[in-house]
Amino acid sequence: MANKLFFRSALISTILSYLLIFVGGLVRVSGSGLGCPDWPKCFGRWIPPTNIDQIPAHIDPTAFNIVLAWIEYGNRMLGIIVGLSIIVMTVIAVLYFRNNSKILYSALSSLFLVGTNGGLGAIVVSSVLNPFIVSIHMILALFLVSVLSYGTIVSYKLVNSVKLSNILLSKKISISLIALWGLIVIEILLGTGIRTNIELIAIDNPLFSKGELLDALNSYKYLHSVLGFSLLFLSMYLCYLFKNDFLGLSKQLVYFIFGMILFQIFLGELMIFFELPQLTRLFHTWGSSWLVGIIIILYNTLQYEQS
Amino acid sequence: MSSLNKKLVLAFLFIFMLGSFGFFVIDKATKSRIDNIGIIGQVPSFSLTNFDGSIITEKQLDNRISIVSFIFTQCEGACPIMSENMSILQERFASSNDIQFLSITTDPDYDTLEVLNDYSSNYSNKNNWYFLRGNIIDVIELSEKGFFLSAALLPAGHSTRLVLVDKQLNIRKYYEGTIESNIFELQSDIVTLLNQG
Repeated sequence: MANKLFFRSALISTILSYLLIFVGGLVRVSGSGLGCPDWPKCFGRWIPPTNIDQIPAHIDPTAFNIVLAWIEYGNRMLGIIVGLSIIVMTVIAVLYFRNNSKILYSALSSLFLVGTNGGLGAIVVSSVLNPFIVSIHMILALFLVSVLSYGTIVSYKLVNSVKLSNILLSKKISISLIALWGLIVIEILLGTGIRTNIELIAIDNPLFSKGELLDALNSYKYLHSVLGFSLLFLSMYLCYLFKNDFLGLSKQLVYFIFGMILFQIFLGELMIFFELPQLTRLFHTWGSSWLVGIIIILYNTLQYEQS
Repeated sequence: MSSLNKKLVLAFLFIFMLGSFGFFVIDKATKSRIDNIGIIGQVPSFSLTNFDGSIITEKQLDNRISIVSFIFTQCEGACPIMSENMSILQERFASSNDIQFLSITTDPDYDTLEVLNDYSSNYSNKNNWYFLRGNIIDVIELSEKGFFLSAALLPAGHSTRLVLVDKQLNIRKYYEGTIESNIFELQSDIVTLLNQG
């Protein structure tokens, strides 16, 4: 009963957190981060103003744009919902899982991460969207979904005794998965670095075209592409390692990882060579967050090899 | 249909919906930026003297995006920050010939052309920034009736706002000249106006 309860709340928290990353990405690509100049309220109100007359006298109405305000506030509201959902999850963990350190610590650390990242949101606004701080805000969210994904799969196994895979967590598979996860984190940091630099260059050079912005970047932008293709090969190798497995959760996740990396490379090239950059950017970032969580789930679906 | 295929179809449907939602929101945000700089008024005719002695009239605003401020050189509070911010914008948009800057003194008694010349060399790095003086009565009228900015108790009572004027002499928006986020906003609005042609 408690197992099921925790699994459900962990699953809901994880899904909501992924949605939150999507909405947060939407705020960044649509340039709505300053939609509310204050924090946590929006123009001094708990419900953003719908009309310029509702802005209190002490707040300058210059930046008032109802659309941007509501986009930014949507991110904050969903953040609060995620926070509440994680609080519920943590309460369940503290009540019923004091002896299960995996569950207890994943709940407590996700509570810590969601709180910290909410507070960081205030600094994002007060820093006038310093690209570096915005990126840390995103990276903390990746840590959050990693921990939540872990809590979800650990509790899933408590609820569900169905065998998930024939493949055992051999040293070879363990190392491949850990390497894949680590390299994806590095890849995300490189990608975030590229985005941060593009934004910093764009602030000083508002007239730069996309081509000029890309030219102004350091050569490590190529590293991002090279590592991307290396990840594709690593995931192909993983598919090979799972070739004899039945089509259970594990194998589905392995295929998902391969497909997602392929899709990410496609989106990355699309961003460089074609237009519609904002929506592509959004899914490029969001897809990478999926990979981080899914690899953790895959790792924990496998049984340890008996030695 | 097997349950896996069903799940896949549902997942793709969900991603498609999310993508459409994302597209809708991004599109709304882009359009809102244009709506947000609607026309507030028209710059009236004026005639002021630039620090180099040339006469500048409203015709100078034709076919260029202008950022206008009211300042005076002895001001120690807001003006240095306002001018510094305009200087940053001048540098960032230096490669465009479609943008210009106007700073009008609210203390023409002290701010002679020589004083304005010195002041300009502290901030301006390109010849697209005009430091202007004129009759105090004209300046008050231009501020209050032309740009809808308060001009009581001059020189210190001038507005600290920067005015964005488009190529057709329309006043588009005001920005608090000392607040960083407002300058950020002004910068992106200039880009929006430039992209509109």
